[in-house]
Amino acid sequence: MSSHDLLPVHTGTVIEDDSLTLEQLCRACDVHADWVISLVEESIIEPQGDEIQRWRFSGTSVVRVRSALRLQRDLGVNLAGIALALDLMEELESLRTELKKMRHG
Amino acid sequence: MEYKDYYKIMGVSRSATQDEIKRAYRKLARKYHPDVSKEKDAEAKFKELGEAYEVLQDPEKRAAYDRLGANWKAGEDFRPPPNWDEGFEFRGGGFPGGGAGVFSDFFEQLFGRGGFRPSEQSARGFQTRGQDAHAKIYIDLEDSIRGTTRNITLSAPEMDARGHVQVKQRSLNIKIPKGIKPGQHIRLSGQGDPGSGGGKAGDLLLEIAFNPHRLYRISDADIYLDLPVTPWEAALGAKIKVPTPDGNVDLTIPPNSHQGSKLRLKGRGLPAKTPGDFFVVLQIALPPANTERAKALYQKMQQELNFNPRQSLGV
Repeated sequence: MSSHDLLPVHTGTVIEDDSLTLEQLCRACDVHADWVISLVEESIIEPQGDEIQRWRFSGTSVVRVRSALRLQRDLGVNLAGIALALDLMEELESLRTELKKMRHG
Repeated sequence: MEYKDYYKIMGVSRSATQDEIKRAYRKLARKYHPDVSKEKDAEAKFKELGEAYEVLQDPEKRAAYDRLGANWKAGEDFRPPPNWDEGFEFRGGGFPGGGAGVFSDFFEQLFGRGGFRPSEQSARGFQTRGQDAHAKIYIDLEDSIRGTTRNITLSAPEMDARGHVQVKQRSLNIKIPKGIKPGQHIRLSGQGDPGSGGGKAGDLLLEIAFNPHRLYRISDADIYLDLPVTPWEAALGAKIKVPTPDGNVDLTIPPNSHQGSKLRLKGRGLPAKTPGDFFVVLQIALPPANTERAKALYQKMQQELNFNPRQSLGV
């Protein structure tokens, strides 16, 4: 028996796709709602639902919002630049995956 | 304590103008930003850069730093001379790399601590909920297929009673629910940063990523397998055994299949209410012509099949 076996097992909840409210997303990323709204207006993140009260975000929004925050804070990138950078980074990531597949395949 | 050469870190001369320092920071920040960079140690380099810029962009801090003299070597054992900061007034705030974490002992010795969140928070008297903490964990495909319990170790800077920052590690056993997909998050209530003034602790959000698998690729809830087949299996059709994470299955390959043909096994991807699919991508393997008999068979095909794979190239 390893020492790990003595620890309690934590059971979390899975953040299902399109289940986070604006408030939950803000809290998860420690940002203001106004700023998240401006990210939505720039379509950096895309919630389901048409009214703000009904907006539901996916778990990947958390990753994008936090990246956006770091890009703004550390590099002084504006919203349009953030949108461009995130899209290009995503594309780069999928190309790298593709490349890895071809090298090993 | 080691001396840090902030000019060297930023790649500028001691006589650089404030504008040159800013430009150097922007350029290096793009290079080493952890979100953008694939450089090794990008995160450590970015932190170091943030610290160097924090000092050099502020004329007061820079002047005080310069007064230490130019004869120190990076890494050299350093003790600030007495009264070295006499007559300087340091204003807090404006930490460009503040979010990047904690500055070095060298920095703290000279300029005190700044930009470290929990200290600011606990200074406020009222009740606040703790921050949500974030971490990324890597699991195996099999963990998601069957569900399991995994032990993870998280490290986070924490402040002890005497105000020293230490990286504290803690170990958690976590249930990995069946069917979790890459990019999804697990929320563990109350496992984030502690609240202050009796406020509730924040949550811990774990982003799930998958380790590369020897056989399979995962895309959302779908699983892909590259399956080598013989030319005659692809051409004539066949029934062959295929490994899936749930065990071997018999797969029927229809006649006249091509290189790259995709066959779907519905619902054999990651488990869920609507489970993902399992895709088999055919990879035609050429038998080597390394015996007289194999060569004869190839020659027979050459003579009897009128096949030009370059027709579309017009040659």
